[in-house]
Order: sequence, then structure tokens, then C-alpha cells
Amino acid sequence: MAEMRASNHVSRRGFLGMGLGAGAAAVLAACSSSGSSGKAASGGSGGTMKFWDMPWAAAAYNTAAKNLVASYKPASGLPSASYQVIQWANFTETFASAVASSTGPAVSTGGGFQAFQYAQQGAIAYADHLIQTLKSNGTYNDFLPGQVEAMKTPAGYVAVPWQLDIRVWWYSKPIFSKLGLTPPTTWNEMMSVGTTLAKNGHYGFGTGAGAGDFLSQHVMVMMMINNGGGLFNADNKLDVVTPRNLEAMEFVHELAKAKIIDPASVSYTTDNENAQWKSGKFAMGINTAGLDVSTGITDGSLAPMPGPLTGPHGDKACLVFQNNIMMYKNTPSQAGSEAFLAWYIKHMSSYWQQNLLTGLPVLKSIVALPQFQAQTPRVEAVRNWLPYAKNYAAVGTVLSPSLAKVDGSQQLTAFAQTMLSGGDPKAALQTLQSSLEPLFT
Amino acid sequence: MTSAVGTTKQPDGVTAPPRPRRPARRLDVNKTTMIALVAPSVLLLLLINAYPLVSAANQSLHNGTLISSGSFVGLDNYKAVLTSPSFWQAAEFTLVFTIVGVFGSWAVGLGLALLLQTNIPGRGVFKVLLLLPWVVPIVVSATSINYLVATPSSPVPSLFHALGLGTPLFLANPTWAKVTVCVYKVWVSFPFMMLMASAALSSVPDTVYEAAQMDGAGAIARFRRITLPMIARPTYISWILMTIFCVNDFPTIYLLTGGGPISATTTLTVLAYRTVFQNFQVGPGVAIAFMMTLVLVVVSVVLYRQIRKAAFQ
Repeated sequence: MAEMRASNHVSRRGFLGMGLGAGAAAVLAACSSSGSSGKAASGGSGGTMKFWDMPWAAAAYNTAAKNLVASYKPASGLPSASYQVIQWANFTETFASAVASSTGPAVSTGGGFQAFQYAQQGAIAYADHLIQTLKSNGTYNDFLPGQVEAMKTPAGYVAVPWQLDIRVWWYSKPIFSKLGLTPPTTWNEMMSVGTTLAKNGHYGFGTGAGAGDFLSQHVMVMMMINNGGGLFNADNKLDVVTPRNLEAMEFVHELAKAKIIDPASVSYTTDNENAQWKSGKFAMGINTAGLDVSTGITDGSLAPMPGPLTGPHGDKACLVFQNNIMMYKNTPSQAGSEAFLAWYIKHMSSYWQQNLLTGLPVLKSIVALPQFQAQTPRVEAVRNWLPYAKNYAAVGTVLSPSLAKVDGSQQLTAFAQTMLSGGDPKAALQTLQSSLEPLFT
Repeated sequence: MTSAVGTTKQPDGVTAPPRPRRPARRLDVNKTTMIALVAPSVLLLLLINAYPLVSAANQSLHNGTLISSGSFVGLDNYKAVLTSPSFWQAAEFTLVFTIVGVFGSWAVGLGLALLLQTNIPGRGVFKVLLLLPWVVPIVVSATSINYLVATPSSPVPSLFHALGLGTPLFLANPTWAKVTVCVYKVWVSFPFMMLMASAALSSVPDTVYEAAQMDGAGAIARFRRITLPMIARPTYISWILMTIFCVNDFPTIYLLTGGGPISATTTLTVLAYRTVFQNFQVGPGVAIAFMMTLVLVVVSVVLYRQIRKAAFQ
């Protein structure tokens, strides 16, 4: 009987084979670069090109964007455009598999450094001709200073900017008023205000480094930049362990020691952070220009500080991400991609007219819109913060594909978590340098 | 004249021994039929599994990107991974996570299955309620756990504080985060183990217990000498499955801690994902996944041997 039962079994070798196959398929399928986003609504030959967009704000934004794209009427012979929302979750896989299988978009928004990354891999259609068109029709001059040029690489313009994601210091007016505090203007004042807040049960360095929350990465880099440092040196090489960076992180270390930083913020998600702002536990901190909207505290209680803090050496700076729209080589018509993008840039003002976006506009004409001028925190961000804004490339000046590897990396998250936990600044910086170096080889 | 199949009466009246049958030919026919029936499935499985396997093997030997294969680097990716401290840290936590996940959920599941064998009132309701952790989508339960433990003012830390046990940072402290993730894994997995154990227990005849009881065996002896051996086979199967579930578990970690704090709860699956999709190092990431597969196969084979042993008992 036992023998009979045994003979009914799969042999060990068979089991090994099946296990190897099934296990490997399950584990490796996610890592395989092959894949397809499908041919539906293909822009390849059907006279329609695909425009992929991200959820940049609440669902109403994507609805408006879809309607805007639907209203695009191409010139004769050029393709029309279809609209597709790509979720932030796993968006790198979505784009990579689509681009690799030539089923990707003709035009898209996406990660801040995505265009540089795909340009290096030969998938981007450079926008030089489009920029010339924008220059000739006057749109180029409508861009805020330096925004278009930030997209320039030795090979050409990889994309066209369309909105700015800036990090600014915020404070709670009611809590400051109750405690008789004024917004700090220097790091020393910040330490003093933070200490008072801590004594009264509030945190003065509100941030989060939990699952899916990259704010703390930005906060740490902004503190470095605010002190004249950054992740890269003037030659655009990774250079993390510098005296200025060390000084900035020692300051953060002091904040942690003084309990100005919430020790649980190491694991905070964006929702947790917002809850802390709403409950008044967070009274001061670095966040996006849309903190009031994301927390729902839109009565003016939350306000950006008058401007960047002045560091110990007199430096004043904040962090900005220049979000952009890129064109891909895989398009039914390059002329069609350029025509659509030129049209889109010209018509995207409707998002700010409808108060759908908290990102800052890159066009002066949008900044001047009465609907945008009514958004006090954003207007203050443009007026008081944007002139001091630097990007992830600081101290370097050139955006590059390397930044895509740094932005959102686990190495930077672990570094931020170490600092928020009160870890040793020098050791943390050294670990960051050594862990990021392999990404650049 | 043939009196019966395979038996021939000889002229002298002596019955000849049965003519030897031709099992070989029949077996050949059977074999061919079986192979023909199985072939489509095998081909399909090969197509589904072989392509990603070969493609991934190729990627692990190249220094490619997400959209290009890159140049051949031999075993460099494996060397780089095996000399990386982050790999060994992730491997260590994967081991802990898997051991706790498998045996923790098995212990709880078996305990509850034994309890549900008794005639307690509302047994059916309990069975359904106890399945909920397994049924509820991970996204929902992970969000709920986050609400319960994330901030110092969340319900569970508040309860600890009220009981004078301090205010543990369940997700922010590396040690507590490991404990939280493992406990959560046990919580979401025990219903599966309970189902497996319930099915196994129902196949053990009552007469065996009655005989043992008549022989004077106590409850513990009956459990050790009868229950455990008689449910060994399904138990090993459930261990194999849960080992695979735990090692490959991505959403639990990613949603609850993101692998933090400071990589404390990063498992090999999460590390492979990050290496490929955040660091854009496709070769090393796939190499990690390959090594995981190898380990899973070895563990599965070891447990499979136990199943065979149990089957022969």
C-alpha cells in the first residue's frame, strides 16, 4: 500500500523541476524587464498618440487633464492624443516595461529625473526643435527664469518643464501665537523655537520616513543645501561627506537630541504626518507647497515661513524638483508629439484656474492669474522661496540620469531614518557615500 | 478452443500454463496516452516558466538597465551581491521572518483547529470570523495596523502607556518593527494553517483516539503519539507552502514598514525589488531573486523528503 502511494507521488526530480520553474517564475517575473503595457489605444499606427500622466493631485486633476487632452484638435495629418493615468505605485516598472516593449507613451509626465534617465538609454526624443518653436511663438519667454535651461544636457533638451515641486518651511500660526513665538529666520532661532515647542508638547521638525514617504529624504538634502552643501560637488560628482553636510547633519542630530524631532517620524507615512499636523503635534516643519491642502487645513492656520532660514554661514536655500513633460522616440509622429506638447503647455493654465494643483507653475502668465494669486501659500512660495531654490544636483548645477538613482533610493531613506533616530552624523554620511557609490559605477 | 482469456486447453487434455501477457506493449500504449495527455500542460508550463527563467538568468549575468540587456559580466553580479552587507542583513531577517511566520502561524492555526474540533457553541461563526485576517486584503489590514500602532497617540501605544509599559515605537524602533512585522505575518497567515490543520484533523479516525484512551493514553500523549504523526503529511505541505509565502512576501513588508527603519525589516524580496526598480541595478537584483529561488527549492526538497517519509509511515 505504501509502495502504491509512493508511486503516485511526483518524483523528487520532478518536484525539483516544478519547484524551480514555479518558484523562479513567481519571484523573477517581477524583476524581468520584459513585459507589455498592451497595444490598446496604440499610438504606433492608429493615428492616436498616447499621453501618460501621473496623479499629481486629487482625482479631479486627472479628470480635468483627461478632458483637456480630449479637447486637443491636431492639425491635419497629425495624430490626436489619448490620455492615460499611471499610478505612482511601481511607476518605474510601468514605464520601463512599456518603453522596452515599444508600447509606451509618445509624451508623458513622470519622475523628476525620468527624462534624463531615458535619454541616456536612447528612448527620449530631444525637445530642441520644440524649444525653438516655443522661442519663436513667445512661449519660451513666459517660462520663469532658468526653468527650461535646467532641462538641457550636452545632447539637447530632454524635456519641457511644466510645474515645480518645492520644499518650504511651514509653521502653525495658532500654536506660535499661543506660545508667543515668531517664525525663525536662522538655524539658531529655529533651534530656540523648536526647544520651546518641544517643552510644550509640539514638534518643530515635522517630517516622515515611513513606507512610501520620501519627504525625509528631501528634508535632509534641503538641510545640506541650506548650509551650502549637497549630495554632489561642483564637478557633479557624488560627494556626500563634506564639512558643510556634516555641519548640517550635526544640527539635525542636535534637533533629535533636543526632542524637536518626533522619534516616531522614522516610520510615518504621509497620512501619519498629516494626522500629526492636524492634531497640532507638528507645529513646524519642511513640506511641499501644498501642505495646507493635503492636510485640509486651508483656513490660513498653516503658513509658509517668510523665506528660507539662514544657515550658520549665511546660506539661504531650499529644494525644488522641476517636473517636466518628455517626448519619446516611440511615437507615431515626432511632429505630432511636438505639436501636442506645445499646445498642452499653452493650455495647462486651466489646472491653476480651477485650483487643481498645488505644484507651482513654471509660466509667468499662470503665476499672474487671479485664481493662482488667491492661493496665498503658493504665491508666497513663488515670491519668497523660489528665488533661493536649488535642485538635487547641488552643489553641482547639471541635472543628470544619476539623480534618478538617488531620488527615492533606499540608501537615502535609510540615511534619513538614521538621522531622525539621532544616529551619528559622520558615520551616517560615510555610510550614505559608500552605499551610493556602487550606483554610479 | 479457448476456455478463458489467456488459458489454452491442449489436445492431450493438459491445461497449459497461462500464456505470458504482453504488459510491455500495453504499458507503451498507456505511456503514450499519458504523455499525449500531459504534453500540452507541460508545454504550456515550459512556455510560461522557461521564458522568464531564461530571460532572468540572462539578465543576472549582464549589467543591463530596465530597457536594455547591457554587456556580459559573468558572475560579477553574484559576487557583488554576496559581498554586500545589505544582502546578508536582508537574508538574516528573511530567515527570522520565515521561521516565525511558518511556525508561529502553524502553532496558532493548529491550536485553533484543535479547539474547533470540540463542540464549542458557535463553532461555525468562529470558523468564519477566524478566517477574516486571511480574507481581508493586505492593503486594508496593513493600513489598519498602521492606524493602530504608527504614532505615539495611536490606540496600541496609548494602551501600553496607560498600563505603565511606556510608549513603544512599534514601527519606528528597529527591534519593535521586526516584532510588529512578524506578529502581523502570523496574524494574517494563521487562518490558512488552521484550514489545513482542520482538514488534516478531520481525517484522523476517532477509533484511534478511543483505542489510545482505552490503553490509558492522556491528552498530551494522544496529541504527540497520534495527532502529530497522523497529520504530519499535510503539516509538511503547509510548511512548504507557508515558507514560499513568507520568503516571497512583498506587500506585508512594503506596506507596513517599507523595509525600514534603517533597513531593519528589509527581506530579500524587498531588497531585490529595490535593487532593480529603485537603484536600477537589474543584474544584481535578479541575482538576488535567483539565489532566493535556489534556497526555496532546497528547503522545499528537504520538506518534500519529510512528506515522503510521512507517507510511508
